[in-house]
Amino acid sequence: MSTLVIAPLLVALVTAILTLLTRPSDILQRTVSLLGAVGYLVAVVALFDEVILPLGSEPATLVYQVSNWAAPFGISLVADALSVFMLALTGFVSLLVLVYSIASVDGFGQRLSYHPLYHFMVVGVTGSFLTGDIFNLFVWFEVMLMSSYILVLFYSGREHTRAALNYVVLNLIGSAVMLIAIGGLYSTTGTLNMADLAQRLAAPGAYDVALLPTLGLSAVLFSVFALKAGLAPFQFWVPAAYRAAPSPVTAMLAGVVKKVGVYAIIRLYFTIFAAAAIDLSFLGISGNSFLGFFGPVMFVMAAVSIILGGIGAVGRDDVDGILAFSSISQVGFIVLPLAVAATAPSETVRVLGVTAALVYAFNHGLAKSLLFLASGTIQDTIGSDRISDLGGLANRAPVLAAGFLLGALTLIGVPPLSGFFGKYLVFQAAAEAFAAGAAGAGLALAVALAGAILTIAYYTRAWNAVFWGRPSDLVNAALPDRWSIGSRDVAMTDGGDGNLERLELTTQVTVVVALAVAAIGFGIGFEALFATADAAAHAALDTNGYIDAVMNGPGVGLEAATGGGHA
Amino acid sequence: MTQVFLAVVLGVLFTIGTYLVLRRDVVRVVWGISIISQSANVYLVTMGGFDGLAPILSGHGGGDVAATSDPIVQALVLTAIVIGFGTTALALVLTYRVYEEHGTIDMYELGGSR
Repeated sequence: MSTLVIAPLLVALVTAILTLLTRPSDILQRTVSLLGAVGYLVAVVALFDEVILPLGSEPATLVYQVSNWAAPFGISLVADALSVFMLALTGFVSLLVLVYSIASVDGFGQRLSYHPLYHFMVVGVTGSFLTGDIFNLFVWFEVMLMSSYILVLFYSGREHTRAALNYVVLNLIGSAVMLIAIGGLYSTTGTLNMADLAQRLAAPGAYDVALLPTLGLSAVLFSVFALKAGLAPFQFWVPAAYRAAPSPVTAMLAGVVKKVGVYAIIRLYFTIFAAAAIDLSFLGISGNSFLGFFGPVMFVMAAVSIILGGIGAVGRDDVDGILAFSSISQVGFIVLPLAVAATAPSETVRVLGVTAALVYAFNHGLAKSLLFLASGTIQDTIGSDRISDLGGLANRAPVLAAGFLLGALTLIGVPPLSGFFGKYLVFQAAAEAFAAGAAGAGLALAVALAGAILTIAYYTRAWNAVFWGRPSDLVNAALPDRWSIGSRDVAMTDGGDGNLERLELTTQVTVVVALAVAAIGFGIGFEALFATADAAAHAALDTNGYIDAVMNGPGVGLEAATGGGHA
Repeated sequence: MTQVFLAVVLGVLFTIGTYLVLRRDVVRVVWGISIISQSANVYLVTMGGFDGLAPILSGHGGGDVAATSDPIVQALVLTAIVIGFGTTALALVLTYRVYEEHGTIDMYELGGSR
């Protein structure tokens, strides 16, 4: 069933177009949008079922060749365990965030452009996860970015335009750099197809590929992915853009769109570029593959992100700012095990490192969306997210507080929440690499420990200031009584309609609770998540399997196409 | 010879683009970006090499076909041009919105955003 590969892509694309066409009717547009998100999740689950389930069996790799041209001549779309793992996160989070959006984004904005943009962004994300062609990856990145530009700019006020200007300019330069890297890779290797690229890198002599320039170009490409993932030193756009975007959009940007950068790093550097064998020794870096070079690079970037993001978050006095800096720090936590994996002395540690990164990415996707949504609800009801304006919310909105607490505890890593296992695996990967005598693994452990302590520090601070203590004046004005699901309406001070209706608030809080329940659920049923992440990590490291599936996949080759001859 | 010439042109284009991106005037920044993205396109075409005829085949199948330049990069550049067109339009509209909101398009006066 290789056509199943494009099912999520098609569902999201059709939904985006339908939400454009149904703009005259609010109800119809929102229904179509919701149904589309449900349909997307169903398509992803069907693909998941085909690729990964039943657990324990060998995961399949499905390949769809566009127009039925065999690789490397056409564009290949590949759904292996890694892609499907990321798609599952996207499907789940995007549905919940969409439900929240309908309750939170103002009606005019939704009617105007919110739904089409949202789904086009999902299209871009899906395409990036599925494509097996580096130029096609660029195109999907652009689809995703183009929607995200306008979503960041959505409310179009003073701060929004200022932040969006930085975001747009930076990403446009990033796109140009990506194009340059891709052009260079095409020139040195003679192919754009990822599987073909890996094949040629594995046998540079046979294909006349110069490895050293390829390494340099892949490093240029790496900077673009680091920019998308918000890794230091490319983290500076994150806080402003996250503050400016509407909270559900921020939840998607932090929860899902950032993971595209992480995915691209795993796919290209661990599956594709890892195929090349090259003896490196410069600047104190040595190794026998590209990963030997990227390991230390990733380590430095991850370590700086963790520390910089953590310290930045401790110093912020607004909830969104804390979450945005936390997001920089957490991406560091995702990349740190990748750095360990890249320099890992043995195959087991390498698989463990990638698994740890994937599990952490999944947890971060859940928890950070949860926290940004909770922060959005606070902003909507109280009218401010500055710590000095808030206080005592645990007393007034206990359900929301519980949701926020669970999200924060997931990122801190408290059992039995799923975040505990994410953090545990990161430490385990570093510890095993340390035990096996990998250089720098001790340092990785120390950085992870410092980062974990910083995480506790800034979330404790946010929790204490926002939820504990006496209710502030603003909180008293907005929520004079205890509010929980089913309570009466709340006065809204945030301009807008002047009143956040009961249904809207209930919906928002319900989504937050649903994400918190998911964090608990994946913690208790962690074995399933681990097995899936493990399968994804194996798929990510199985270069030959990937080459085999794509190059010997379906499609009509050049010989067959011209062989008929109608001259 | 063409390659050397194009290499020099590319260097000059990237220099101009970088210079403009670093200006205070937002409109110049947008120009800078579009120059950089156009030079990325020229770079892409250059990467395909120029050792052949234009890749337009007369007839179909059979017969000897003279060596042509690589058509793939040209297809890629067409895609990239269209994307660049869209993003430049967006950047210009955004510049106008910034002017409406802030009354200035001077980067210094806009200040940092938190």
